[in-house]
Amino acid sequence: MHELTILQAIYLSLERVARQYGARRVVSFKLEIGEMANVVPELLEDAFKVLKAAEPLLKDARMEYEIVPLTLMCLECGYTGPWRDRTVACPECGSAIVRVIDGEDILLRDVELDVPEDHEEDKG
Amino acid sequence: MYRKTMKRIKVDVKREVLRANDMLAETLRREWKDRGILVVNLLSSPGSGKTALLERTVEALKDKYRVLVLEGDIDTERDAERIRAKGVEAVQITTGGTCHLEANMVMRAWEEVSGEDWDFLFIENVGNLICPAGFDLGEHLRVVLISVPEGDDKPAKYPKAFMTSRWLVLTKMDLLPYFDFSPEKVIEEARRLRPDLRVFRTSAKTGEGIDEWVEALEETLHALRETGLSAG
Repeated sequence: MHELTILQAIYLSLERVARQYGARRVVSFKLEIGEMANVVPELLEDAFKVLKAAEPLLKDARMEYEIVPLTLMCLECGYTGPWRDRTVACPECGSAIVRVIDGEDILLRDVELDVPEDHEEDKG
Repeated sequence: MYRKTMKRIKVDVKREVLRANDMLAETLRREWKDRGILVVNLLSSPGSGKTALLERTVEALKDKYRVLVLEGDIDTERDAERIRAKGVEAVQITTGGTCHLEANMVMRAWEEVSGEDWDFLFIENVGNLICPAGFDLGEHLRVVLISVPEGDDKPAKYPKAFMTSRWLVLTKMDLLPYFDFSPEKVIEEARRLRPDLRVFRTSAKTGEGIDEWVEALEETLHALRETGLSAG
């Protein structure tokens, strides 16, 4: 149950972006959740409800997410794509010399904000 | 009523959510490496024998090396007391309900004892195979444990713990005759997730495999100091 920890980290990022653009409300944000990020989306949604109630910045915010499959790059044959059979080996040539290049992290992507027309972006 | 006109904008921040943890972990890893301290993060389910393995380990190392243990638990000082009873310093980190350790908790505990010189620092994570796998603590070596009684399906159920660990320790091997547990199956499944996984078969009760494990730790410490890379 570390979904609340993760959401707190998301909140800190959102707060920083909102401050930078002078926004008081986040309209929506999108997460890319790696298949191997060990996050249960349903629990994340529950935690989001708790956070929404507590933080005015997120009062009307919408959270969207997309699951990113674990993605390998084979250093022998060059295959780049999702893993198969839940095995960290190249699905094309069988080599074990592969790198995991995606699907392990949680990435905060598009954040939609309502910003006052006259606000100058704070570059600091 | 005066109301400011608003515009709706979209910003692509592309920010990794756990980046703060990872940056802190990286800072710790560098400090430990520069000071020649090998840091080992132990992951397992509750009751797999992390503390028992550590008791054996610190007994074997303490005459030659300065050994420190950070004990992660949701509550209680019990595990730290077991380590202290072996004559080795231990700092208890109680997470207050959190199911895993994070780099900032480790840093706070480390600051209490960082004034002294150490050779080995063992971090016993909270007993849980899920959440600890997602949090880098700055360790040089992540080790996952499976005990014979808990079954041989762990790698398939908790792939991340095995993907991110360099060593696997099978514990309670003295119980093998009494359980339907296939070490070969575990090793095969774990290596599907981590082809270069190194495996140790141990029993803290009989002492089986402890020498090999301790020697591997010593070799890794020397490799860290000589080449800056951790072997294993």
